Amino acid sequence: MQEAIPYKTWLPHYTTTKQPLLNSDVLAAEVVSENAIIVFARRGCCMTHVLKRLLLCVGVNPPVFEVDDNEEDEARRVLKELQTVAGEEVQLPAVFIGGKLFGGLDRVMATHITGELVPILKQAGALWL
Amino acid sequence: MNSSSTQFVTSGGMGMYDHMHQLSMWGESFKSNGSPHPLSSMLLPNTSPSLIITADMKLDNQSEDTSGTPGPLNKYDQEVTKSSEKIQRRLAQNREAARKSRLRKKGLYVASGVEASHVGFNGAVNSGIATFEAEYGHWLEEQQKHVSDLRAAVTSNISDGEMRVLVEASLNHYYELFRMKGAAAKADVFYVMSGLWKSSAERFFLWIGGFRPSELIKILRPKIEPLAEPQLQGICNLGQLCQQAEDALSQGMDRLQQTLAQSVADGQLGEASYSPQIDTAMEKLDGVVRFVRQADHLRKAALVQVSQILTPRQAARGLLVLGEYFERLRALSQVWATNTREPE
Repeated sequence: MQEAIPYKTWLPHYTTTKQPLLNSDVLAAEVVSENAIIVFARRGCCMTHVLKRLLLCVGVNPPVFEVDDNEEDEARRVLKELQTVAGEEVQLPAVFIGGKLFGGLDRVMATHITGELVPILKQAGALWL
Repeated sequence: MNSSSTQFVTSGGMGMYDHMHQLSMWGESFKSNGSPHPLSSMLLPNTSPSLIITADMKLDNQSEDTSGTPGPLNKYDQEVTKSSEKIQRRLAQNREAARKSRLRKKGLYVASGVEASHVGFNGAVNSGIATFEAEYGHWLEEQQKHVSDLRAAVTSNISDGEMRVLVEASLNHYYELFRMKGAAAKADVFYVMSGLWKSSAERFFLWIGGFRPSELIKILRPKIEPLAEPQLQGICNLGQLCQQAEDALSQGMDRLQQTLAQSVADGQLGEASYSPQIDTAMEKLDGVVRFVRQADHLRKAALVQVSQILTPRQAARGLLVLGEYFERLRALSQVWATNTREPE
């Protein structure tokens, strides 16, 4: 079972001085493009739990990138990066499939009910079989 | 979950009903041999918590709304059919008057600009809920119309196009209820979660503030058969998908409940009159609101899918079955309440 990946582990040079890293603006984009599916979520968010369970139902166990609300600067930075990647404002929890913003729980649930979710996941390589 | 419901004077408390009269109303609505009687559709027990029609009021209705001169029996039937709308309006007015008089007696009626005052446990007025309850009363009346329209349509030869219009109208009526619930959830999410506007039998089947889609699909399916193979598959598949979504939501809800319970135990939710943790409290309750919204979102998606999978005629039949199912649940609550309460 994959563990949630805290933001900090993606920034090996992160210090507590809260100085912005030069390459921090490419980080979210990297993570998004490196994964067929990835979920960005607030730590402790119960909606994220729903999202994960629903994806598990269809056979996907996505990596979850956790944002800690207590670390306000970090959280803001991640959201800003995601906005750049997505080209629009991003609400958490957010699912990126095939490098693009797919949506939140609303969209995942809606496409699950109509049966559209599984083909989309397969096409992005997030799901085989 | 709804332990505070008895404190709300306008909630579905059993003590509101005039039981002897409810019993006679019930009897009357089933006098004709099972087929819908114009009078019976009007007297069908209503889940509006403020419904109380005393024997006096009912007599007033009949003497005022049927013509002053008593005619032969068949003429009376015609009069009733024509004046059933008037009667419905009068009933609604009487309900409202009775409700206000009860509130006045309890010293709780606040004659303000707000038409209806929903008085809560701590005496605070929640106008959002009061608005919802008033709207729900109207919604139920409209719902009866939709169900009768569907009932007439499925036994008729109207075209698919016309059928589709009826189906859409009925669906939109459900979507309207979801919208109303969304607004009510912002006013008092625990009210919505506990389904306080519903009859007791409906509340028995409550799942996150409403019906469980997979359950309804299971009930619906045998009633709309025979279905062609792809449609049968589609409906069964939909039931399964709904079940999965429901499970995911239920698990998330359990988690949230645990978190909330912990917060209450830790004194974090600002239960004292003022607390700096009010932000945390609002955030957590906001989580519950999101769940209610998400569950309604699922309900809507399920209804949309059903109407996509089925032909207009099948969909009409399905919605009729659904509407009648809820009507029966509401009726069951009334009968049960009447039979178990001791007469005054």
